[in-house]
Amino acid sequence: MAGIGHWITTFYESTVFVYGTVLLVIYALLGLFSYLAIRNFLRKETYTNYFDLLTSPLSPGISVLAPAYNEGLSIIMNVQSLLTLNYPTFEIVLINDGSTDNSMEQLISQFELVAVDFAYNPKIKTQPINHIYKSTNPAFGKLTVIDKVNGKSKADAVNAGINIASFNYFVCTDVDCILDKNALLKLVKPVLEEQSKRVIATGATLRIANSCEIDNGVIIRMKPPRNLLARFQEMEYIRAFVLGKMGWSFINCVPNVSGGLGLFDKEIAIKAGGYDQQSFGEDMELMVRMCRYACDNDIDYAIRYIPETLCWTEGPVTVKIFKLQRTRWARGLAQLMYAHFKMLFNPKYGRAGMITFPYNFLFELLAPIVELTGILYYIYLILTGGVNYTFAILLLAFVYSYSVMITTMAILWDQLAFRHYKSWREVVYLCSTALLEFLCYHPLIVIFSLRGYYYFLTGKKHSWGNMQRQGFGQKKKT
Amino acid sequence: MRNILVIDDDEIIQNVLEKILVKEGFRVERAQNGKEGLAKFDLLKYDLVITDLMMPYANGFEIISKLKQHPNTANAAVIVISSITHEESVMDSFKLGVDEYIRKPIMVGELLLRIKKLLLSRPSNA
Amino acid sequence: MPDIFADFSPEEPVRIPLLDSFLELPVIIQIAVIFIFISSASIVFIQVRIWFTRYKGHRMQKRLAVLLPLIDNLISEHIILRNDVMNNSVHADNADLDIDAFRLREFRKKGNKQILIDRLISYRKGFSGSTGALLRRLYLELDLDKVSFKKMKRSQWNTKVRGIRELTDMDISISDVNILPLTNSKRNELRSEARNAYIKLSKNEPFKFFDISTEPLLKWDQIELFKTITTTENIALPSFARWVTYSSNKSIVSFCLKLIVHYNQIDAGPAVVKLLDNKDHVLRAEAINCLGKLKYEEVEQQLLHIYSNQPLNCQLEILKAIGRMETRHSVLFLKQEFLYSTDFDIRKNAARSLVRNAPKALIEELMASSSEDGQLILKHSMNPLIKY
Repeated sequence: MAGIGHWITTFYESTVFVYGTVLLVIYALLGLFSYLAIRNFLRKETYTNYFDLLTSPLSPGISVLAPAYNEGLSIIMNVQSLLTLNYPTFEIVLINDGSTDNSMEQLISQFELVAVDFAYNPKIKTQPINHIYKSTNPAFGKLTVIDKVNGKSKADAVNAGINIASFNYFVCTDVDCILDKNALLKLVKPVLEEQSKRVIATGATLRIANSCEIDNGVIIRMKPPRNLLARFQEMEYIRAFVLGKMGWSFINCVPNVSGGLGLFDKEIAIKAGGYDQQSFGEDMELMVRMCRYACDNDIDYAIRYIPETLCWTEGPVTVKIFKLQRTRWARGLAQLMYAHFKMLFNPKYGRAGMITFPYNFLFELLAPIVELTGILYYIYLILTGGVNYTFAILLLAFVYSYSVMITTMAILWDQLAFRHYKSWREVVYLCSTALLEFLCYHPLIVIFSLRGYYYFLTGKKHSWGNMQRQGFGQKKKT
Repeated sequence: MRNILVIDDDEIIQNVLEKILVKEGFRVERAQNGKEGLAKFDLLKYDLVITDLMMPYANGFEIISKLKQHPNTANAAVIVISSITHEESVMDSFKLGVDEYIRKPIMVGELLLRIKKLLLSRPSNA
Repeated sequence: MPDIFADFSPEEPVRIPLLDSFLELPVIIQIAVIFIFISSASIVFIQVRIWFTRYKGHRMQKRLAVLLPLIDNLISEHIILRNDVMNNSVHADNADLDIDAFRLREFRKKGNKQILIDRLISYRKGFSGSTGALLRRLYLELDLDKVSFKKMKRSQWNTKVRGIRELTDMDISISDVNILPLTNSKRNELRSEARNAYIKLSKNEPFKFFDISTEPLLKWDQIELFKTITTTENIALPSFARWVTYSSNKSIVSFCLKLIVHYNQIDAGPAVVKLLDNKDHVLRAEAINCLGKLKYEEVEQQLLHIYSNQPLNCQLEILKAIGRMETRHSVLFLKQEFLYSTDFDIRKNAARSLVRNAPKALIEELMASSSEDGQLILKHSMNPLIKY
């Protein structure tokens, strides 16, 4: 008996050791790759003339899809700000997903809308569309509004938008996100400069808008959020996008393009079946299916990321809402891994099958579980008196300092590329948050992720509702 | 004195137009973006509005459609100065009642002649 | 640590308590300890680096805040607000230019010179005509072109590109000896920039590389080239049909099709028609698109003839092309496609072309006789609010 017990503990300890080492090495590599990718991006940026793209008749058309559910507080302002995007040929498709507030009435009167007889081919099945509206005022000629029956998911709303989109590329965003005015120009560039690969999606950095100075849907000045929870998220986003996604982009292994802002190849998205209404992580799920479709049909594809922040979103400030968000994300991840398990270490799916998917499985999905077992094991050791406290503290200090270093490095990359925030002190303020992450933020994420997995396993029905928002327009700025 | 409103988010164009027009003896109000532009409508009666198409807050089309409804600007001549050469933008501008569509880069001499010609054919608003 | 030194004597082995206890640790823990130090040092270093980056940015901003108004005032006074330029009464080459007013101490510094160059270029992007020509004279007379040429000689590819870009923005000719080697550079970005410059500035054969280039022309390059070709004054335009016929490079053929449409080179019609036999359906579709936009009516019957053997994308282009030609000869064909096709996109495009071509009576007749979806498609196509 004792022999088996010893064997198990040795096995467990060495597995965790290898697991941890690989993770540390991956982060170091990501740091290096992202640096190279950002440097390359910046070099090009010193001479790139977006003006040529803006004025060219050859720029591809883009449909901007913005789903909205009960966003009456800010919907007018958000549509107005979408209409001021810098791009020569684009349309805004606003999908009113059966809002129960007065969103639709506001839209009709503000933009002088009339219902039109709009013929379209529903290539993806969605909840029925009641009416499609266009403006009688040429000033709003780029706007199309879909009024549809609520489909209880963002996926269903966006799918309806994809069905009526006119152009070959679509940008998916949330109506409550604030976009940079050059977002379309910057997102489409990677598609145009690819030599032989087909770029099926591009994404850009997302950030937290909470403490930024915002005036009628335009970011005036970026500030690190004052709320601690939101500041943690800002830091996490910088690390995930500037360091993570850019690093993956360098080796063409981007795992997903975030739902806040992304540009997609419409043909592939439709052929892959559009967004999945059942999914809790619909953006990543679609990306995986698009990759699968591309591999199955021998399309040499690429997914690109740019380090520039083009989208700001309101992050949850209460633990309660944050819990809902993260539980949902974790559940989505579990769902996705289960549904596409065949891809894991499947050479048929190239880098997606051999690198991206295994990474997500081992270090995203399993990480909270590994951590939980680690903690339980530790408790067991403490109880049996098998802990060398000096070693334990040293190891803990090692992991702690390493993680803080990676986070500060991400913030440095971001600062090297763009001089965000007003002063050095604000950057240090943000960096100092990294010191607390290990103690406050990280445990929350682990707990909420485990909660998400639990719901996935038990199949608990849960209505997620809409995140409660204050609406950016409400914060009066003088 | 004739009043002109210049709305353009390009700081260089805005500065230069202001200086040239002031030198030519016009009173010039300037705005950096759509929101400022709309706010300037209330200030005084204009004879001419010069606007860009792509700007933050409210794009040029929205500005033009709103100025046609505002008592201070309804009778003003409208010139669009834009680098966009797409037929659609030009058509939409004229549909909204624009008098001239001038493409960037601007020829200063030509612009001045067009402005004078436009203003000659209308009674002063002020 | 004084107590270490107190015990120190050469006979005894050196004892450093901290180091000794470190060496007694297992290797793993040793590595961990080393990494704790490395990480902590890095964190401090990164903070300093962030501070330095921000400080540099801050200084640059301060410099810009001083220099830009200065440059703006000089340019306004000496270039823009001049009566002779404003009423176009003098040629830019003959106008007096008070060059000494610009020879300020501030602009001797390298960094400040760059700010001046960038500002001049921004001005030139906003203003053409004699203002633009004077700005160019200023750039030359201040010897700023030497700064840009120097960049071209540097080893970093992005610096080279910037140099070329500045020279082309200012319309300064670069000798073939300097630019031609770069058009074959291994670095894709440099190559396309050099070609762009060559087309804009070469006096001899600006489109020479269309003949020799074998690798694909990126979409981005096409956009920049298109811009250069269509905005360069006095460019000697060739007949682009030449490459449509002879080039084996698909992306160059496709690019030439767009130029043919832009310049409405109707003479190119027969050459484009030959592409209808091309094996690549994407290129075929682009050729059909081009013929439609040229309103090259001679090909209409041939398009109808090949229609049934084409893949969907070409069929859609044929329907659009027939609509654009507005000859009204093929109304019957459009009507059949509209009524009997099972594909939504075909029906929609047929309807749109019908609306452009068919007499009102026919549309009304169709409206009365077709199914509910058919009516919807017709209404969609007729609604002026819906553009696509």
